[in-house]
Amino acid sequence: MNLRRWLIQLYPRPWRERYANEFEVLLEECLHSPLDIFDIMLGALDAHLEFPYEMNWRLMNMINKLRTSILIVFAAYIGFVIGGMSLYGLADDSPMADLMKTRTNIPLLASWITIEAGAIIALLAIVIGGLPIAWIVIHRALTSSHGDLRYLLVPVLAFLALVVYGGFILSIGFGRIQIPGVLPKVSHDNFPLGNRVVIGGHMFLFVLGAIASVIAVWKMITNTNIEENTLNIPGREKPIKIYDYAFKFSIVTSAAMLLMLVATITWGWLSYAAMPQVFTENWGLLLTNTTGSFIVIFIMMMLSTAAAFFGVMRGYSAQKPVT
Amino acid sequence: MNLTDFGRFSDPALLILASLANGPKHGYGMMMDIETMTGMRLGAGTLYGALTRLESSGLIKSMPAKDRRHPYQLTSKGAAALREQLSLLQKLASAGLKRLAMS
Repeated sequence: MNLRRWLIQLYPRPWRERYANEFEVLLEECLHSPLDIFDIMLGALDAHLEFPYEMNWRLMNMINKLRTSILIVFAAYIGFVIGGMSLYGLADDSPMADLMKTRTNIPLLASWITIEAGAIIALLAIVIGGLPIAWIVIHRALTSSHGDLRYLLVPVLAFLALVVYGGFILSIGFGRIQIPGVLPKVSHDNFPLGNRVVIGGHMFLFVLGAIASVIAVWKMITNTNIEENTLNIPGREKPIKIYDYAFKFSIVTSAAMLLMLVATITWGWLSYAAMPQVFTENWGLLLTNTTGSFIVIFIMMMLSTAAAFFGVMRGYSAQKPVT
Repeated sequence: MNLTDFGRFSDPALLILASLANGPKHGYGMMMDIETMTGMRLGAGTLYGALTRLESSGLIKSMPAKDRRHPYQLTSKGAAALREQLSLLQKLASAGLKRLAMS
């Protein structure tokens, strides 16, 4: 730890959360003598003894709470995406997909289209709502000495690992890599254990990468000083309060998740009504039991939606005016 | 708002207000401006001790960051406090000078 950062660490945490970044910039320019160091140490002592800004404390707590609420919705959304992709995998390989292609069962098709529409709405809300935060956090990571680029690398490395593993699976499919017990081509009736392990590895890597990326994003955002909660847009008079802005979109994301959850149970029910035999067969994840897979996927989506609404309620309580 | 409530930070607070009287400045800008105005150099700890008090009292406010620096500007409350404080000093200065002239 260099001298500047050590001196800043002497100040109380609420003070650092508000002033550390700009104070460090000042110290880069005016820390020349032992007298300067002494003056800062006195300032830190004063901040510990007389930090008189109760309103600032409460405001900081409010912003921190709102930020955590948004992050809970984001983490819940990623959990929902994992469930949603599993549902897509289940439906895509099953006779339900063929039934939907015939367009004879309109309610079934409509419920599936509702799931897809919800997915698009949720994704757009996450991207549009999260863009200002992403911009500030990435900008700060690249320009501030406080910035930690390691966290930024996690989603990139997770994605690269998925691509490399995907290439490995393709190479097996094209016969370029041969592994005992793993077939280059599989079908519903011939899906050996070796192939399940290889495909399962890809799914495991996806889930692991998603969890690691969520943790990294969470850490990056919480490590960014809260005074940076506004963003200036050229041509716009007032800066955007990014947490308030993102919170509005997190409500949209949560509502879209609820819509998809309802559409999923409807789709499952209609599928069962149309083809009950499919639910006793093995069309589920890695060709396990369809009903078992559907229940696991639905529980995952339900828990994610519940977590998202918990985040929204928490955010609402954070937005109540300070009395 | 009386700057004397700021204790040992009342003088630095007055210097900061005076520095911001002609427009927003960030920490280092204020430090340089005060040094040019008075020949006095405030330490970073003293500057921020006064600055945090001024901000929490609503006499100055932070503007959005530019290149990691936060400019500050006077609020109307801050301008009134500065005006009041400078008038007092002006009265004190003229009274003191008169007395000196008579002695």
